[in-house]
Amino acid sequence: MNRGMKLKRHSFLSNQECQVIHDSSCRLLEEVGVAATSEKAIDLFQKKGAVYEQGRVKIPKNMVEDALEKTAKEITLHGQHSKDNIRLNPEDPLVYYGTGGQALNVLYYHDGEFEKKSAGTQDLIDILRICENLENVDFITRPVEPDVPEEKMDLEKTRIFLENTSKHVNLANLIKLDKLPEIIEAVKDKSRISFISCVLVSPMNLVSDTVEKFMDIVKEDIAVSISSCPQGGSTAPLSEVGEIIQVNAELLSAVVLANLVRPGAKVLYRGIPITSNLYADASPRWCQPESIRRIAVITDMTYFYKIPCCGTAAVSDEKEPNPQTVAEKTLSWVFESASGAQFINSAVGMLEQVLTVSPEQYIIDNQVISRIKELFSQSPDYDLAEIAQKAVHDALNMFDVNLDSQMKQDISNRIEFILSPKEEYTPEYAGSQVDTISKAIQSGRSSNKFMKASRAGLRKGWLYKGMRLEGQMNLDEVLRIKKQILGWDR
Amino acid sequence: MEDILEKIKKNIIEGRMNSEDEGFNGEMAGEPGVMELVQKALDQNISPSEILDKCLNPGMEEVGRRYEEGEYLTPDMLASAECVSEIMKILEPKLVKKEDQRKEKFILATVKDDLHDIGKNIVSTLLKGSGYEVKDLGTSVTPDEIVEEVKQSHAQFVGLSALLTTTMSNMKDVIDKLKEAGLRDKVKVFIGGAPVSKEFAQKIGADFYCEDAFDAIEKLKSA
Ligand code: B12
Repeated sequence: MNRGMKLKRHSFLSNQECQVIHDSSCRLLEEVGVAATSEKAIDLFQKKGAVYEQGRVKIPKNMVEDALEKTAKEITLHGQHSKDNIRLNPEDPLVYYGTGGQALNVLYYHDGEFEKKSAGTQDLIDILRICENLENVDFITRPVEPDVPEEKMDLEKTRIFLENTSKHVNLANLIKLDKLPEIIEAVKDKSRISFISCVLVSPMNLVSDTVEKFMDIVKEDIAVSISSCPQGGSTAPLSEVGEIIQVNAELLSAVVLANLVRPGAKVLYRGIPITSNLYADASPRWCQPESIRRIAVITDMTYFYKIPCCGTAAVSDEKEPNPQTVAEKTLSWVFESASGAQFINSAVGMLEQVLTVSPEQYIIDNQVISRIKELFSQSPDYDLAEIAQKAVHDALNMFDVNLDSQMKQDISNRIEFILSPKEEYTPEYAGSQVDTISKAIQSGRSSNKFMKASRAGLRKGWLYKGMRLEGQMNLDEVLRIKKQILGWDR
Repeated sequence: MEDILEKIKKNIIEGRMNSEDEGFNGEMAGEPGVMELVQKALDQNISPSEILDKCLNPGMEEVGRRYEEGEYLTPDMLASAECVSEIMKILEPKLVKKEDQRKEKFILATVKDDLHDIGKNIVSTLLKGSGYEVKDLGTSVTPDEIVEEVKQSHAQFVGLSALLTTTMSNMKDVIDKLKEAGLRDKVKVFIGGAPVSKEFAQKIGADFYCEDAFDAIEKLKSA
């Protein structure tokens, strides 16, 4: 059996709307630019035509378009055996699912309760063993780090991966720049691994040490996802249009840099435009309707550019496996899959805004994805609202959760929220968002500016407000599978 | 005269610094904000302590009440707190009575090599909203810079933020440097951020671990 699911893609934006985003992002890059301190990166940008002034690299539109022309359009990532290979090509897209990280904690189940502890080497091994046995995990992003000194982490991690998984290995971040040659020597086949580089701090900042690692990875012709994760309302506008313009501009700056380092660079575009919980302490909202919508919307830009996409889904905001966790994750997968995001990361096993994983959650998620795949294959001409509703109901049903009418209503409210645009993607409105972003950056106190600018949107209900689904889940089958794989009960 | 003081108070509650600001409902852009109004009041020879008594204090009380009742959200609190802290910059040098000057100073910083600042900024907002004077040193701040600021400003509180397991140990460096400089007893040290804990605070000799910004306000009451 080969990996990857084929499905009809649902686009959220028209081509014309994507063009508005593209033009606005280019304006932002040209007029405001990205802040940078890495000499290596600045030199290269300048040599190829960008302007560096007052700490910011200003990138003309022709450089952006040239990079989009050159960058790799198809990327193949290898598993140990060719049946586990992953082929990313927007002209003929397949959807793949994987894990994410880095979680700091692991939950273990004990007599009906979850106990939290700091994650380390043994947890990494356990999770790899579990995922090796889960059919819907197509690739593994390092879920937790081994507890060894930083100096040893890169190689130890590589070794543990190679010993415990035959699936594609996404090491996520390179910890020490000088370890890259040894990692390559250990894996031999460079396509066996890939990375994720969080080269950007929003709004519009290239981080020096990460950028330099990123440049080295690109130079070695290893695939790398460029990731940017602004939070609307604190590091980007709360406006969806504004946040999409900003995250797109940020990612384009890194696409340009990658293709200056090596034309035809194997980069995956990964935008994670989530929101900030302005109802409380501004913590990130990963799996709430407006974030699910935005993450799905940004996928359209990768099809507009015809470049490989790294998606993000199912990072629950909940701390433990429970009905709300399952509902959030399921919705997020349905929409992210339908958007055609190809290499869907973060997803399997993840809880608490990327802070915690649990062995049980990996198994739960695998079962949910099975159901989602069945639903998509049963109705190739699916109605998105309908399939989402069915998926959540079925997923909760699998764990004997009883849904009352209020819970059902909240699920359909969420779906409706995700499907309905709240703002217009017109050039004028987009232009006003570019102005907001550039003012916020120039003020030097961008998070205050973004937060203040979010008040009108808050009043209009741009952050979904609903209920949490409470209730018990029957985990007997999940625990049985865990025991079967790990051989003992923790 | 009553009128202008009333207007200042109203605009503090609306969180409008200047004419660009839209206010709670996003409908007030174009009208003068507190910066213009305060200047006007001073020009009319209204005393700084009257502005403090009639506008700032009751204004922030009202904001606090609305926030507690859930009508106001974090950005609303932030907008009003910013107004107050900017007005104080103008009024403070002019205030004669000692007790009118804000007493308690709080230094905030994200520790060296750490760039996460969303949480720290929220803490800063709530502190300002509760009447503290906040000096925010930004991100990736070295222990020396923090010690220097404590020396200069005679602050009573130091708040440190770290979101990475690799940078949390830099909090201990700050505390050690404060000890070396003989300043450890002069300040209470608050720490926060996802990877730190109460146990960690005890281990490195910090005074308080705060789960979130609200927790910080609670603990300050006991400090
Ligand atoms: C947003 C974010 C970023 C943004 C930061 C933007 C910004 N301007 O701050 C960006 C994208 C830039 C970023 C970068 C990185 N990040 Co980051 N990031 C996050 C994320 C998703 C949210 C943090 C956040 O803003 N929370 C919201 C605020 C409101 O909460 P808070 O910070 O916890 O603060 C509250 C309390 O803790 C407390 N508090 C905090 N500080 C203080 C201080 C005092 C004095 C008091 C009283 C209270 C207090 O009050 C606050 C308000 O209630 C977390 C995951 C998470 N869920 O925490 C990862 C996370 C912290 N990041 C992580 C990583 C790995 C990184 C990178 C290394 C990624 C990379 N590979 O390059 C870089 C490091 C950059 C650097 N040198 O610092 C990891 C850390 C793992 C680890 N080993 O420690 C996390 C946990 C994500 C993950 N699971 O992988 N990140």
